[in-house]
Amino acid sequence: MSEPPLTPPTSSGPSTREGSTREGPTRDARSAAGSLASGLLAAGSAVGAAGCGGGSSGGGGGGGVVAPADAPTEPVAPAVTTQEEAGRFLHQASFGPTQEEINEVMSGGYDAWLFRNYGEERSTHLPQLDSVSTSSDRIAAWWNNVVNGRDQLRQRMAFALSQIFVVSETDLSGSARAFGLASYYDMLSEHALGSYRELLEAVTLHPMMGEYLSMVRNEKPDAAKNIRPDENYAREVMQLFTIGLVVLNEDGTVQGGGNGTPTYDQEVIEGFAHVFTGWNYAGSPTWKSSHRDYINPMEPNEDFHDTGAKNLLAGTTLPAGRTAREDLADALDLLANHPNVPPFICEQLIKRLVTSNPTPGYVRRVAQVFKSDERGERGNLGAVARAILLDPEARTGHQSISNFGKLKEPLVRIANIWRAFDARAANGRYFFSSPERELGQAPLRAPSVFNFFSPTFEQPGELADAGIVSPEFQILTESNLVGTTNRLNTIALTDYEGAPNRRLEAVLIQISRERALAHQPGNLVAHLNRLMMSGRMTTTMRNTLIELLDDTPFGDDGTERVIEAIYIIATSPEFAIQA
Amino acid sequence: MTIHDDERLGALNRREFLRQCACAAAGGAAFASTFGQLQLASAALPAGDAFDDYRALVCVFLFGGNDSANMFVPMDTTAYDTYATSRQNLAVPRANLQSVNATNVTESYGFHPNCGEMRSLFSNGNLAVLSNVGTLLQPTTRQEYLDRNANLPPQLFSHNDQTAFWQALRKSSGRKSGWSGRMADSLANRIPSAEQQFAMNISLFGTNLLQTGATSVPYNVSSRGVTSLRGMTGRNAREDRRKKAFDALLDASRTSSDPFIREFGAVQRRARDSVERIGAALDALTPLTTTFPTSRLGEQLDMVSRLIQIRSTLGVRRQVFFVGMGGYDTHGAQATRQPELLGDLSTSLNAFYAATVELGLEDNVVTFTNSEFGRTLTSNGDGSDHGWGGHQVIMGGSVDGGKLFGTFPTLEIGGPDDTRGGRLIPTTSADQYGATIARWFGVPDGDLNSIFPNLNNFTTRNLGFLG
Repeated sequence: MSEPPLTPPTSSGPSTREGSTREGPTRDARSAAGSLASGLLAAGSAVGAAGCGGGSSGGGGGGGVVAPADAPTEPVAPAVTTQEEAGRFLHQASFGPTQEEINEVMSGGYDAWLFRNYGEERSTHLPQLDSVSTSSDRIAAWWNNVVNGRDQLRQRMAFALSQIFVVSETDLSGSARAFGLASYYDMLSEHALGSYRELLEAVTLHPMMGEYLSMVRNEKPDAAKNIRPDENYAREVMQLFTIGLVVLNEDGTVQGGGNGTPTYDQEVIEGFAHVFTGWNYAGSPTWKSSHRDYINPMEPNEDFHDTGAKNLLAGTTLPAGRTAREDLADALDLLANHPNVPPFICEQLIKRLVTSNPTPGYVRRVAQVFKSDERGERGNLGAVARAILLDPEARTGHQSISNFGKLKEPLVRIANIWRAFDARAANGRYFFSSPERELGQAPLRAPSVFNFFSPTFEQPGELADAGIVSPEFQILTESNLVGTTNRLNTIALTDYEGAPNRRLEAVLIQISRERALAHQPGNLVAHLNRLMMSGRMTTTMRNTLIELLDDTPFGDDGTERVIEAIYIIATSPEFAIQA
Repeated sequence: MTIHDDERLGALNRREFLRQCACAAAGGAAFASTFGQLQLASAALPAGDAFDDYRALVCVFLFGGNDSANMFVPMDTTAYDTYATSRQNLAVPRANLQSVNATNVTESYGFHPNCGEMRSLFSNGNLAVLSNVGTLLQPTTRQEYLDRNANLPPQLFSHNDQTAFWQALRKSSGRKSGWSGRMADSLANRIPSAEQQFAMNISLFGTNLLQTGATSVPYNVSSRGVTSLRGMTGRNAREDRRKKAFDALLDASRTSSDPFIREFGAVQRRARDSVERIGAALDALTPLTTTFPTSRLGEQLDMVSRLIQIRSTLGVRRQVFFVGMGGYDTHGAQATRQPELLGDLSTSLNAFYAATVELGLEDNVVTFTNSEFGRTLTSNGDGSDHGWGGHQVIMGGSVDGGKLFGTFPTLEIGGPDDTRGGRLIPTTSADQYGATIARWFGVPDGDLNSIFPNLNNFTTRNLGFLG
């Protein structure tokens, strides 16, 4: 068996598809990825994509070659031997395992699944909306994509990015902006496995970000009126989207320890604030026209761009007299090439996908792939995703590290159930439009640019005492947890295939496969353990479930046993934690 | 040194807790321990040290950085002109301000046009203004700042860092706790467990650092109250079976080898137990006649008034509530957004004060605002950027109201209080502000230094707005 190429294409994926079409073509993953690579690289990218001559160390592109010590080292995929291993991987890489994808990973291995995902058609929001759509249709489209999308890796990465490059409907309300937000999320998924530098520029120029962090119509200074450029985007693009507050080592630890050395100061923010002047909604006929394009990238208006010299990071000065685009390109290059970016971004992505407390070594290994993939490209997020998922710590850390893993995000918990049981509604829609009210989380509805929770949060009590980082616990309040538990009541106990008197929009879990096992509680529990919990269920939990099912009359076709078991698993502490 | 003090306090409480747990007995103890009131046998209390009254604090956090230079504005001609010159298109026209006469100063001031209720509360002596307060490690001069010679809190002007400092008052990393959490740790040794059966700190705006203690655990509740766990009310055999399995897994999580599983189980148990105790009490309440605005802040304060009403069911002597309101980060469209924000704040505070009067508890409840920073006096075109010092208000029957506390700053660009661009250096510290409140709440002077680690660097320990 020949090894697949180690470096996935820096790709934006092929053309998008209508969200309503669920059956993607089954293709040979490897050839799809291969043809994709050549096709997209030919199309080129701003970061010098065609640089196949990368890897200056000449470490060799093929698999199995031991790279020199200073060369980037992308992981070699270990073999998959059990359903449990496949399930664990899919919990990290997707919105949850399905029996079909467990089988796929079992038979083809991790890389085959990854490479199919790189080449998979992209699931998007905008084509699912029409002229009368509202914000709840945007949320329904999101559920459809994460439950049914064949491009699970891209969707999981886009979801992670949506909580790093935050815009929020909290401050961007109204039906018209629902389309802008849909387009923003689609922009994230377009770049989710592509180039970080291109992503950064697309984020910067998206009109929803322009509104959210008030860069749109940001003007050059007017000293006579004490008016200076808006510092909002300048500050947050550094603090949150690129380099962070303090100088980091390559393994994500703070250089020098303690509070560390700040990466920038107020003067640097003011320099960047001058860079980000002169941008307006696309096609705006005048600077302050009522015209507002919420979808297409913002465009410069040189009359409002500051043309003075600008002092930026590390003594870099942009010369005077340049255009808005020239200043922007150089400023974003400066940020994207800063040595903090690889550990700062990679550590956050690891926390989103795999574990809240990665070791410094894990962060460093992934950061090295960010710095330079096998082709020598920086910021290849597809390669970063693979490095995160195939790192030895991701694959076996749960066996050796006591605080390995993470609390699942509430939206992911729900998606896990709906994916495992192929949930769908008779009207084809996923009606669950305000999950933040019950779960404390909804796509693109964070309370602020600091997202729903902080990547460094430590839950007070036992976890903080032990110094265990636990970001998702920040929204696990008593009220959100009751809301989530009650939603799981609806999902498992009310809205199942064959349930009486269900409305057209009820999203129904499909449980015929499980009903067939219900006469044998032990078999049913074993099946649910593999499907929902990667086989991690403790003996105590298994015995509790079997006792429950033994006590539950088998009077119907087994439905009651199945849905009670699903509910108890879905609400259990063991299911809530991803190990 | 102060940090060491504080860590000693935390360690002491844990030791004390372990010692007392060993001999802990029955009663409300099981319930109390569920909610993290990890203290104390009443026998350990010195006679006369316990509280015989009820007191509550309500922290209203204005997230994003309130542009308070427009909330409380100087109205004397020279001072107003300086304000208007600095603020340009952000300035509130003088004629629109709601003027007040603070009884302790000669200068005249006005509240923002949408803060009419706050003006009335001020004029009636039930609301005070504390001016130019902010995060400081020690008194700081403009020259020290400009010379880069000042000992400053980390990451000035950054939202999350400054929010964290307001709440934690700590420069150093390490154990993370907030002053209200440390206050609960400290007071736990002074209130018999039978009289403080439920968490002292309750948040209606999510988990926050302010209320995080070393030993005490805050409780979170929604402004909609407490929802019961559906389908587990024991109505029939099927629900009984389900609840038995659900409870069995929560119990099993206590001994899990995975710390995340243990903690998830702990939160779920708190949620389950609070439903039984709080939910029923809230459902049984007779509603107040006071009506609250339907805003998010109004709804939170409405629920706070209900939680105060059920204080005897909860069995508490001291409570700290955390409520919040977002949207103050007015980088853009400030002219339209700020009036809405301040109007909501003013009407919500007013309704809450009325509710405490209706409960006969206006002298027992102190409400105070926090915000991570003030904003630049200068404009960025249609908004303001992140600043430093700002004004806050304190409300309640026990407040020495109708007065202006602190030192009102010079609102001049390049003036004596300006760092640059109209970011004002605070002249009163968040430590002094919090310590004044904590003293009223019952924290002895000797405990203040460990709860407010920078307090000793300032001469005034009591700002006087609570007598």
